[in-house]
Amino acid sequence: MTNDIAVIAEHAGGRLMPVTFELIAFAKKLRQSKSTAIRVLILGAEIKNLARQIADQSGLSVLGFEIPAMPDYNGELYTRILAPYFSADRPLYVCIAHTSRGSDFGPALAIDLNGACISGIEDVLTSDDGICFARPVYGGKLIAHIRPLAATSVLTIQPGIFKPDKQSDHKSGRVVIRQVAAKTHQWRSMGVKQAAMTAKGIAEAEVVVAAGQGIGDKDNLDLINQLAAIFAKSAVAGSRIVCDLGWLEYGCQVGVTGASVSPQLYLACGISGAIQHISGMRGSDFIVAINKDPAAAIFQVADICVVEDLKSFIPILIETYQETRNKA
Amino acid sequence: MKILVCIKQVPESENPILIDDGNAWVQSDEIREFKMNRLDEFAVEEAVLIKETLGDTKIDVLSAGPERATEVIRRSIGMGADAGIHIDTGSERYHSSFEIAAGIAEYARGKPYDLILTGAMSEDNMQGQVGPMIARRLSRPCATAVIFEKIAADKKTIYVEREIEGGQRDTLALPLPAVLTIQSGINTPRYPSLSNLLRANKQGLKRINGADLVQPAARENLVALVYPQKTRSGTVLKGTEKEKATQLIRILREKALLP
Repeated sequence: MTNDIAVIAEHAGGRLMPVTFELIAFAKKLRQSKSTAIRVLILGAEIKNLARQIADQSGLSVLGFEIPAMPDYNGELYTRILAPYFSADRPLYVCIAHTSRGSDFGPALAIDLNGACISGIEDVLTSDDGICFARPVYGGKLIAHIRPLAATSVLTIQPGIFKPDKQSDHKSGRVVIRQVAAKTHQWRSMGVKQAAMTAKGIAEAEVVVAAGQGIGDKDNLDLINQLAAIFAKSAVAGSRIVCDLGWLEYGCQVGVTGASVSPQLYLACGISGAIQHISGMRGSDFIVAINKDPAAAIFQVADICVVEDLKSFIPILIETYQETRNKA
Repeated sequence: MKILVCIKQVPESENPILIDDGNAWVQSDEIREFKMNRLDEFAVEEAVLIKETLGDTKIDVLSAGPERATEVIRRSIGMGADAGIHIDTGSERYHSSFEIAAGIAEYARGKPYDLILTGAMSEDNMQGQVGPMIARRLSRPCATAVIFEKIAADKKTIYVEREIEGGQRDTLALPLPAVLTIQSGINTPRYPSLSNLLRANKQGLKRINGADLVQPAARENLVALVYPQKTRSGTVLKGTEKEKATQLIRILREKALLP
């Protein structure tokens, strides 16, 4: 057993995902001293160049598992390769992105390693009692501090939280590529397909008015449309749940599984503010949130917080706008 | 076909959640309303749809939790499941995903389930670990965040679409028996029928004492619960609705977002 930290790189379509460098930043924050080794692992069909890129940019040593004809992700191959590798050379922490992939293979890897599994980490807390990880619970209304007790911990880290460092004083890290002829017995990959196209306008809009479950009823979408209409270059979007309910098309969905937007104004109406939604809109210049629940997580990221029921507040807001415009 | 659906009862998400004095756990006495975890409703519905398509299918629904969890088991029987199992975890406290997965896997081990379904994530603990951990404990293949599934005609494999980032789907096939965690939007969960609810009350549930199941050593523990800190120094508008509206319009005009 060592105190090493391992990072699993994420890549798709021949490109590294930005979260890879966020994981490296997280690992650097996590290590107790500079002497703690951090190694980066990458799995895939053509990963030589990607491994070199990581080593150049981070200064860390990179181990690539080159698996001919492997698709970008195959859950069985990830655990089949990583579990024996880590069993033979146990790190203290394995850092994985909290994405559709990391959430898929992370828990299985933890079981294989008899390790802890802590998901969706947003912060590291160090005290005399050791390290804790902070992660949101109850829709982001509370934060849980979780302490790992096992010899190895599998950690999945929320994307968009840990900023990659831009240090340039290091030497490029060492790259080792292992050729692996791994076959799958269970998980037969059949390709990636595009499901929902993002509705036109959401990404380009300067103002996004977004509806959450708090609108209560599909008919109340009229309020959202009316509110959007007072802004120039605006678009109506929704949270996952509103799209699941069929109130809006999936192409209007903002969040991890939908569109990422960064308008000048994001007006969140009745949106609770689950991290999956916030990930898709946190880059907005100015965020106004209207929600009747003062504990709603959306208020944690909002510039202006309006604790009101949108069903009564939005008509008053539109009326106030019209009154004051006529005066002007 | 025999299907096991694992479900959870969670607090109603619209209501505030308070932390107890010692920052050790939530004030569970103050939680007035509980409901079935939303993603688990999709998992129950998917099982019922499979039963309606294939026929000759039996659906067991299992929930690990305190006594109150029996409400959601009955509700799922109301939706069309055949039998309910309650793993009674006793008093209100934190349970790690690993502990719950180990208990469910022990219950399911050796039983002829062709398919185990669960929601992709619980709304309270938000880890999404129980499904893939059950699969690993039982050495069964697993796919998470499933947004479409179709069982092959020979009932030996299942075609699955997993929802991944940016509106894409990863497609694959797994041999049965398998474990799937279900993403929202895969179907439209039905309301329980009165006749099924009456049947649920009449037939009763199978109760298992959680303490009688395997108690593996904890691999992590909950040190504290805290309220989140704001990442932006957001201004909370004060006054009447009209006053708040006036302030908001003024702010938006100052930012040149409104004419």
